Amino acid sequence: MAYLDLENLRKHFGATRAADGISIAIGRGEVLALLGPSGSGKTTLLRLLAGFETPDAGRIVVDGDDVTRVAPARRRFGMVFQHYALFPHLDVRGNVAFGLPRGPAVGDQVAKVLARVDLAGFEHRRVHELSGGQQQRVALARALAPEPRVLLLDEPLSNLDPALRERTRHELRHLIARVGITTVFVTHEQEEAFDLGQRVAVLHEGRLEQVGTPDELYEHPRTLFVATFVGRANVLRDRAAQAFGGQGVIVIRPERLAFADAGVAGVVRERRYTGAAAFFIVDTDGAGSVEVQAEPRAAAVGDRVYLQATTLLAFPETPALASVVS
Amino acid sequence: MIRRTALIEVGVLALLAWLVLYPVGIVAAQAADPAALVAFVGRPAEWRALWASVWISVASVGLAAAIGVPLAFLFEWLEFPGRRVLGVLVALPVVLPPLVGVLAFLFLYGESGFVARGLEAVLGLKRAPWQLRGPLAILLVHAYSMYAYFYMLVRAGLARLDVSLLEAAQALGVGWWGTLRRVTLPLLRPALVGAALLTFLTALGSFSAPYVFGGGFRVMPTQIVASKLNGDLSLAMVETMALTLVAVAGLVILGRAERDTTLVTPGKGTGPRRRALHSRGARIAAAVAGWLGGLVLLLPHLTLVLVSLVPYATWTTEAVPPVLSLANYARLVREPDRLWPLLNSAWMATAATAGAMALAVVAGWLVVRQRVRTRRLVEGLVLLPWALPGTVFAVALATAFAVSRPLALRWVLVGTVAILPLAYLVRALPLTGRAVLAGYRQLDPALEDAAASLGAERWATLWRVTVPLLEPALAAGATLAFVTALGDFVTSIVLYTYDTRPISIEILSSLRLNEIGIAAAFGVVVMLASGLVLALGTRR
Repeated sequence: MAYLDLENLRKHFGATRAADGISIAIGRGEVLALLGPSGSGKTTLLRLLAGFETPDAGRIVVDGDDVTRVAPARRRFGMVFQHYALFPHLDVRGNVAFGLPRGPAVGDQVAKVLARVDLAGFEHRRVHELSGGQQQRVALARALAPEPRVLLLDEPLSNLDPALRERTRHELRHLIARVGITTVFVTHEQEEAFDLGQRVAVLHEGRLEQVGTPDELYEHPRTLFVATFVGRANVLRDRAAQAFGGQGVIVIRPERLAFADAGVAGVVRERRYTGAAAFFIVDTDGAGSVEVQAEPRAAAVGDRVYLQATTLLAFPETPALASVVS
Repeated sequence: MIRRTALIEVGVLALLAWLVLYPVGIVAAQAADPAALVAFVGRPAEWRALWASVWISVASVGLAAAIGVPLAFLFEWLEFPGRRVLGVLVALPVVLPPLVGVLAFLFLYGESGFVARGLEAVLGLKRAPWQLRGPLAILLVHAYSMYAYFYMLVRAGLARLDVSLLEAAQALGVGWWGTLRRVTLPLLRPALVGAALLTFLTALGSFSAPYVFGGGFRVMPTQIVASKLNGDLSLAMVETMALTLVAVAGLVILGRAERDTTLVTPGKGTGPRRRALHSRGARIAAAVAGWLGGLVLLLPHLTLVLVSLVPYATWTTEAVPPVLSLANYARLVREPDRLWPLLNSAWMATAATAGAMALAVVAGWLVVRQRVRTRRLVEGLVLLPWALPGTVFAVALATAFAVSRPLALRWVLVGTVAILPLAYLVRALPLTGRAVLAGYRQLDPALEDAAASLGAERWATLWRVTVPLLEPALAAGATLAFVTALGDFVTSIVLYTYDTRPISIEILSSLRLNEIGIAAAFGVVVMLASGLVLALGTRR
């Protein structure tokens, strides 16, 4: 049975449908990523979970307890804000202890949770003396200190510089695993969602497009939107699709296209070198331009080449269920 | 180039020292007269006035906060019909000259004001149910005219407040009361301390309300003017220094609280979203509270307009004036004795504004652009008159420039047309200085460098880049300076002569002659002129 249940959640802001009937069941200890472009409603969904917004319809149930209309202060959900929202007038200890009932044990509790995020001894630092990564860990410690039922993270890594991001992501994954807390986080970056999330929910214009493991989303996208938003994709229609042996609308990942001795003919217009591989833009005869990922020396600009597709993702004209043609 | 900068630096320092520091220094030297000191210390009346100044100022801070802070929350956090317009109107008292506010209060709540007359008519009383006199009346006027400092500063603080901080507190299990106490108010501390300081200094220097409503109840500014008019000059000096010391003490105590409040939010936060109230009842309650509060606060000004339409000797015992006409305004224009004060105030305020602006711009250039070594001193001198009550400067200028000693850089200016514009200039200096310094500090020097690299000469850069970019700051500074000078009462009453008497003095004499319609008409003119200048000066 699900630990955290989102049932048919609906929230409109005027004419904008920020959440349009979203249902997701999340297991105890599971880490779920909410992935989508800006304006997809992922932040609204997180705010509905936190209680900062109230849904127009639907229910939020945690551990059998309906919290749909429970105030954020009594919901016992921990939240880490995008810009951390650390209280500038309090030191690290004041921030971490904020949600704890006052008592003689507070000092020990703060020390314990700070040690957990590798900030032992930072109690009396001022917030603005900390680096971005340290601020993030204080925010995490503060959210975890009252032992919440669910941890919510709003774009947890967006505020860090790229060099720090990968390491922090790694640490974050281990910390969540160690604590074993049910976690929902928002991101607009696929890599982050795949790395941190055990399952990923893809949102688009307030609707849930698909929930699944990263592999499922990549290999078996249920909609054209998921296919194009998750990973790179060549979208081909009608005659272009037929050239590669499909019909209607098909999606071919760049790495599922290969240079061959025969197949769809074309000329290499552009080559983008990334080190381990290269991306080639090929103007085909009659099937438009496609992107091919191949070994860097596989072709050169101006070469006449032939392309073969190994996997096609086919979608009916109305982007609903897709079937995979191998 | 460097030598020219140094020359300007020395010139500005000398001018500021002569205008700001020197007169106060002369007062301090003369206050060191043993006989006057003994007289001051030995008289209970002096101590009473000093104590009255202190407690009235502290109480004014409390009352102004009690009105201004809730209003700020109401207008910044809740959405209700009419919020925007009313929110601007509620801030109006801050730009109104104190004397005009006092006048408006008198006509509304005074013993022959509308409220008293209304009660007399309704309850069939023979006499007014109260007298608007003494400390309570002063406090009422202070609270009413100074809440706007709290309202504006706290509102601005709330607008900058990162809402995710409040949400973070809620997510940590803290309810709204705990959030208010543990997050919102601590974060508003700079705004609260700033408003408290502003209110304290304004109340301490307040002259109009104690002068008109005080009766036998004296505060230090009225005591000083009384001593000065009685010819007891050395006592006035000692009193002036005593008041200065209280102001400095307040500045130090509150300034310390203001200093360690570098409450910058680390991340940039989301802009606060105004709460649309969901429940119908709450929405109506907020709208009623907003409109009712706004109406009560604006009622005195509406009263002033109404009274200005009452021709002389047409209103005796009726609850509502029987005749309304524009006769008073016609008299302002037709009677030379009435027209002169208007013209006097207009030209003197203009001259003072121009002078204060020029000095502020040069000082800003020296402090921010050239970063001269004496920049802190220059800035300090520019801002100093803000901390000292108006009476102090009035007395200081009256003392410094009443004798002719050219070798000591003292000339007889008292009694000439120069003294009032000069006094207004000194009083306006911190207003223009603050605005211009802030403007310069926000100006990216790279823009001026860019202009220079594109071939613009020094003056071309100044006119085509610097001045247009500084324009909002210059306009804001000039506006405040002009409005303050136009409505000045406290320096005027010490330094005016019959030929240079400004509007405020004429308002006072009209009141004495029971020409309340004329007094109100003058008040309305100042109010409208201030509002107009302000609207022009602060639009983008």
